[in-house]
Amino acid sequence: MNAKIRRTLLVAGLCGFLLFTVVCTIQIGSTDIEAWEVTGILLDQLFAGGSGLAAGVWEMPHFQIVWNIRLPRVLFAVFCGAGLSICGAAMQALVLNPIADPYVLGISSGASAGAAWALLMPLPFFAGQFQTAAAAFAGALLAAFTVYFMAKAAGGGTLRPVPLLLAGTAVNAVMSAVTSFFIFLARSPESIAAVYNWQMGSIAAAQWKTLALPAAATAAGLAVFTLCGRTFNMLMMGDEDAVAMGVCVRRFRAEMFALCSVVVASFVSVTGIIGFVGLVVPHIVRLLAGTGDNRLVVPVSALLGGSGLAWADALARSAFGAAELPLGIVTAFAGAPFFLYLMIRRGFAGGEA
Amino acid sequence: MRLCYENIRVRMGKKEILKGVSLTAREGQVTGIIGPNGCGKSTLVRTTFGLVPLSGGTVWIDGKNAAGLSARTVASLAGYVRQEISCAFDFSVLEVVSMALYARRERGGSAEAIAAQALEDLGIRYLEQRKLFSLSGGERKLVYVARAVAQGTDLLILDEPTNHLDICRQIFLLNYLKTCGKTVLIVLHDLRLAAHYCDQLYLLSEGSVVSSGTPQEAMSPRLIREVFGTGGRVVPAEAGGLDFGLDFS
Repeated sequence: MNAKIRRTLLVAGLCGFLLFTVVCTIQIGSTDIEAWEVTGILLDQLFAGGSGLAAGVWEMPHFQIVWNIRLPRVLFAVFCGAGLSICGAAMQALVLNPIADPYVLGISSGASAGAAWALLMPLPFFAGQFQTAAAAFAGALLAAFTVYFMAKAAGGGTLRPVPLLLAGTAVNAVMSAVTSFFIFLARSPESIAAVYNWQMGSIAAAQWKTLALPAAATAAGLAVFTLCGRTFNMLMMGDEDAVAMGVCVRRFRAEMFALCSVVVASFVSVTGIIGFVGLVVPHIVRLLAGTGDNRLVVPVSALLGGSGLAWADALARSAFGAAELPLGIVTAFAGAPFFLYLMIRRGFAGGEA
Repeated sequence: MRLCYENIRVRMGKKEILKGVSLTAREGQVTGIIGPNGCGKSTLVRTTFGLVPLSGGTVWIDGKNAAGLSARTVASLAGYVRQEISCAFDFSVLEVVSMALYARRERGGSAEAIAAQALEDLGIRYLEQRKLFSLSGGERKLVYVARAVAQGTDLLILDEPTNHLDICRQIFLLNYLKTCGKTVLIVLHDLRLAAHYCDQLYLLSEGSVVSSGTPQEAMSPRLIREVFGTGGRVVPAEAGGLDFGLDFS
């Protein structure tokens, strides 16, 4: 019973924290806007159809900033943080390795190589966000399966932690080189600036119209990973045990790798590479929740990762005044030391893994 | 339920690990597999679950060809305890054992009751809320056995289940397996336990069955010396049943 109360409190608390985060981080930026005004504008738009705006309760510029600039950006950060975190939780289970996430295993850089190709040398048909996302998905998938099969071949047919991380590092390097090569080929200053920007990670480009795809993909990922939580749990016991308990491991792993690639690809063309979120958040959640049960870890990771990335982005856009700090730098500064702390505390790098 | 391996061949690279092994685990009996390190014991039992690709032969579970069954169906017929006890992630004991209910499609309360009963059967109910990482090797092994038991199958396949247990728990576990009424296939290193608890024994060497039958038949002094390079014989145990005496030569 104690554990159940703890879990309910955790979920409820983090839901509240997410709402609080959305309102608070909208306030933050080059123009100061009071919390009551943010709340008022949001409630007015959501439940009163904008009647307060029509009556002139708040100024039009403030409405524009809150509703059309900062809210989509904050929501994008929430979906992106949630997406990276659930993919991190899923991939740690899929490859039986606590040090796995979309960044470490090269999926992020594969997706960004694909997106770079579509951004810089778009095909004449279906141009736009969907082509970029499709190319990013292809790149992510290619990276995921290359890493998986390289690691499996190097580990003598089983997935061992060290070959896996080496394969991830290699694919990461190759995919980053591919991205740089595309930039080199393109030779246009604007596109180079754009690609450079998201190699460092940034969600400054988030808008309402780019929000739908990440929202849908993250929601789908969240639903599937949570519903398959039992299967993920069994996979975390090892392939042999999972098979002996009735899981069709090969098919499940392929399907879930593909879904991770979809989720990551859905936002990578806007955000670029944001490291450490997917790696660190699931570990914090396992500590907070006191369990590795993915039926709980996945949704809680989404809540915590979503709020966390919204705060990181608020810091990125406010810390140095008008100049935006790339988000990837913030998450690396915050995530890397925390990850080292977790590693030392749990000792999982050397011990069980 | 009967488990039959028919002429099993397994090849890894150029090496033939199993060279046509046939073995039957009969209903309600404890069938043991013994043999030196690397003779293919683990590989043989792993073929049951498709964990090793067969290059020849058939595994029959309850008269059905295992190759044609889904992982879930196999899991509803046979429980498995692997040799190693390593695990990359931490779970509570009850969570681990409850995972076994996947193949039975049990959820929630009834799943927890079945898991608790399996822990009770193996005498480790008191570990229920403990974390896997905090357990000793032997306790962890018993948790895995409890999980296989909770799967509720008529067939249990155990790969060296005794090798992390203290002597008291080795005897407890084998007594449990002997009296549980299930078909049990067990890989053992301890020849004394094999002689005492197994109804049927198979002696494997270099990927082939060297002898089989009752412990006396399967473990003749000549074969033991040939296969293990050390002398020994099956002898009557003081408390009844059989024992195995080593020559230490």
